Amino acid sequence: MRKFLNGPWVLLMPTLIILTCVVLLPLLLSLWTSFTPFKLTKPDTLYRFVGFRNYERLIGDIDFWIAFGRTVLFLAIALNLELVFGLGIALLINKITYGQRTLRTLMMFPMMFSPILVGFQWKYIFNDNIGLMNNFLREFGVIQPIPWLVDGILANTSIMAAEIWSSTSVFAILLLAGLLGIPKDPIEAAKVDGCNSWQVFKNITLPFLMPFVFIAMTIRSLDVARAYDIVQMMTGGGPAKRTELLWTLISRTGYVDAKMGMANAMSYISIFLSIAFTFFFFYKLVEARQRLSYE
Amino acid sequence: MNKKQINNILIWFSAIVLIILIMTPGLWVVLTAFRPQVDVMAKPAVWIPRNLNLIQFETMLFGGSEGSMGRSPIPVLSYLRNSLIISFTSTFIAVLVGTIGGYGFARHNFKHKNKYFLLIMLTRTIPGISLSLPIFIIFSKIGLIDTHIGIILVFVALNIPFTIWLTDGFFRQIPRAMSEVAMTDGCTKLQAFWHIELPLSRSGIASAGIFAFLISWNEYALVSNLARSTDSKTLTVGLMDFTAQFTINWPGMCALAVFIIIPALILTFMVQKHLVTGLTFGGVKG
Amino acid sequence: MLRLFLSLVLAVSFFGSFSAKAETELWGDYSGVTLRVKLIGGGQYEGLYNEVIPWWEENTGGKIEIVTQKNHFELDKEIKKDIASGNLDFCVASNHTSFASQYGNIYTDLNNIMPASVLADYTPLILEHSTVDGRLVQMPRHSDVSNLYYQKSLYEDADNKANFKAKYGYDLTPPETWDQVKDQAIFFSNPPDFYGTQYVGKEEAIAGRFYELVIANGGALFDEDYRPIFNSAAGVEALQWFIDLYNAKAVPDGVLNYLWDDTGLGFASGTIAMNLDWAGWAGFFNDPENSKVAGDIGLVRAPMGSGGLRTGWSGSHSFSMTESCPDKEAAASFLWALTSNKAQMIEARGGLSPTRPAIWDAIIAEKKAEGDEFMLMVFETFKMSLAEDAFTPPLIPEWIEFTNVLYPELQAAILGDKSPEDALATASKKATEIMEDAGYF
Repeated sequence: MRKFLNGPWVLLMPTLIILTCVVLLPLLLSLWTSFTPFKLTKPDTLYRFVGFRNYERLIGDIDFWIAFGRTVLFLAIALNLELVFGLGIALLINKITYGQRTLRTLMMFPMMFSPILVGFQWKYIFNDNIGLMNNFLREFGVIQPIPWLVDGILANTSIMAAEIWSSTSVFAILLLAGLLGIPKDPIEAAKVDGCNSWQVFKNITLPFLMPFVFIAMTIRSLDVARAYDIVQMMTGGGPAKRTELLWTLISRTGYVDAKMGMANAMSYISIFLSIAFTFFFFYKLVEARQRLSYE
Repeated sequence: MNKKQINNILIWFSAIVLIILIMTPGLWVVLTAFRPQVDVMAKPAVWIPRNLNLIQFETMLFGGSEGSMGRSPIPVLSYLRNSLIISFTSTFIAVLVGTIGGYGFARHNFKHKNKYFLLIMLTRTIPGISLSLPIFIIFSKIGLIDTHIGIILVFVALNIPFTIWLTDGFFRQIPRAMSEVAMTDGCTKLQAFWHIELPLSRSGIASAGIFAFLISWNEYALVSNLARSTDSKTLTVGLMDFTAQFTINWPGMCALAVFIIIPALILTFMVQKHLVTGLTFGGVKG
Repeated sequence: MLRLFLSLVLAVSFFGSFSAKAETELWGDYSGVTLRVKLIGGGQYEGLYNEVIPWWEENTGGKIEIVTQKNHFELDKEIKKDIASGNLDFCVASNHTSFASQYGNIYTDLNNIMPASVLADYTPLILEHSTVDGRLVQMPRHSDVSNLYYQKSLYEDADNKANFKAKYGYDLTPPETWDQVKDQAIFFSNPPDFYGTQYVGKEEAIAGRFYELVIANGGALFDEDYRPIFNSAAGVEALQWFIDLYNAKAVPDGVLNYLWDDTGLGFASGTIAMNLDWAGWAGFFNDPENSKVAGDIGLVRAPMGSGGLRTGWSGSHSFSMTESCPDKEAAASFLWALTSNKAQMIEARGGLSPTRPAIWDAIIAEKKAEGDEFMLMVFETFKMSLAEDAFTPPLIPEWIEFTNVLYPELQAAILGDKSPEDALATASKKATEIMEDAGYF
């Protein structure tokens, strides 16, 4: 008993209890439903086991895999752009000494916006009739309104713009934290040795920043599903499934069609996707940390 | 002008452009809340507001005037109360539990530690959609639907992993020797933690806190499932009150959005200083 | 069965100068009873509650507790979750004829509860549409069907008349057929400032519009066994109509994201010549505060398809009582109050179509007395189309799920990603799967 009280488990106990009750148990329940033809409106179907039928159907469902592929592509592009923009913003703000605190707060402004609000907001920005974007372009002589949320490429770009606006701050603040933590000595020394700015950045700043990059990536890949609210409000996956992502598909299948069993089978496949993303970045992070501590 | 001055001007210029890009979409929402409906929907656009008013706020708080056929007031104050109770309580508990957990990871070595750590992080990757229904069914069996406790519980679970991550990094930086010295001076382990390790890691705790708060404050998908009435609906869920069957009252929604943004902004500004330091040390040395 | 102590009072109600037929009222003493209710929310629906709830509480001593009030799609999700978790702790809920069949038998059969004399006050056809598997699961609140609004001055303009005749070889008059709508829409369009018409472009909305056109063209969605048969000449013709208008830029580019608010606000903005829309918009369109076309609006019955039938996709908003309700008698009284003469008159004055013949007479008489020519035309047109043209979507639980496989295919064809035949073939295949899973064949 005493050993237990001094060990780590007593400290981890509250965490484990809460996560078990709120995440693990519901997850097991939804795992079970993915093996049933569970329909919300027919509660009895929860007790009918159909094995892998839902999964088998999904494997042959082209629409599902297209949405899956689009989600992977969307995440890959969005996360990388957010990283690049976030890095740019962090580098810039790092250069500014006077008024930096205010700038930092202003930079975090989009983080105050709930994803669902972001969805509505950008839906109106890209509205083809009265939207901010088309009104703005009209002032510059673009009379023919651009159907932002209809054209396949434009619609995906618009959604991505909303997603990037709402999440780049997270990258920027994490990377800025990294930049502020870089020791000044090596940089000064390198400059004395005649390195130019780019060389300094590439050889000193960037390696030091890498763990932060992976932290940011890991945190964001934990949290990507919040893009669901944005897409749902902006296009709901349409038109003609051109912006369908896994989350819009899952929620329509589960709540509108009431086919919860099938929706949960889709969820499970998508959970593997997020786990894969997270794993990848987490191990990159561990590697980068180790490299840093050797140097 | 020398090179340095030009450089400075360039930096400031790009900073200003950047801030405009970041702020405009957000400020546009705030501005919409104060503009009359005709201006908002006007085509061609009205760029310079002809008049600003508080009609949206009045309608929201006290109900519609004639013409808007009995539009009832939106119970903003109840929503605000729920949001505050839920966000602050869940942040407090998540930070408390997470800090204890982070301390556990930082100060103890045990088998498969890294794997447990990653496993706890992974609980965060599960999309809300796959959890919302099972949580709903379980909560409805034990009577937690439409209660503060139910929603707080979910947010605590949502926010623990990141708190553990940040605080774990912090505690590792504090040399064990410091608390060991204190303990030889007669402190208990708990006293040493309370007087030495905790104050040293307050930046990390503060930054975990602000992230947890913003996530709770802005969450929609899960709360909209668990909250039903004014007993527990939060401000973000209240946004949907402005969507009728087929219409969206966008200026009205913006007025409520102002209520959501301002408290979050104030809080963020207050803990801003800790935020950057907190992230710097919390993340890197894990 | 239930023991019902109904105090049936025959009363004569007066509306304006017109005295309506005697209404069977359904009062009782329900002191100490609290009814938990879930209602559809939003500006145009809430006016009714603000008047009827205090009225009912005063007359019966009962209390109404509104548990939730949200839009129908959100309410639908909430009720589905309630069913899934077995948590039906409410008595009365808003419902809709298109949604009702999804909910299985959580709602009680009102044939056993409502006295026949009360039911006799409603339009029989609408009660029939409110019936699922022989069970009357809802009391109709108001009905919806669409008719064609247009800008009158466009049809009175001499240049328009001459040019149209020269180009199309027949006179420019408000359209009688959907082909004429197409001609005229293309004729009037001047993108991007002015469009001939518009349509709702997604979800159940476009699926419903497609459905009514298929019927009007002489086709059908399903045969008697619920096998999909819309991949037919009538189906392709219907879909082609949407495609042609889109390609001719006779509808706005963003139309595929439009729902009902977009079409309504679009017509009110004065940039649309013709608009097929619901009765509820009439007052809004003719209000100079909200609408640029006020005073210049014509209305004709929805045009005909190639099968000689008029489009008439219709449904009714309604209220249902749960099977688990402990106070069925009080709930019956409240259901009656929500759909009573008094209640329907409140909504009719807002432009909505009543479900009681007596209120049709009363509202038309009232508008005549007021000399409100426009609203008189609206009520007369909608009365006729509800009586002669209206039909419901298939009243099967799979309707919404079916529309979810249909609409992306319709959109794909309209955008030119697929041929109409391909799109309908894919939709038909998926619909077959749904029906098979549901055990129809």
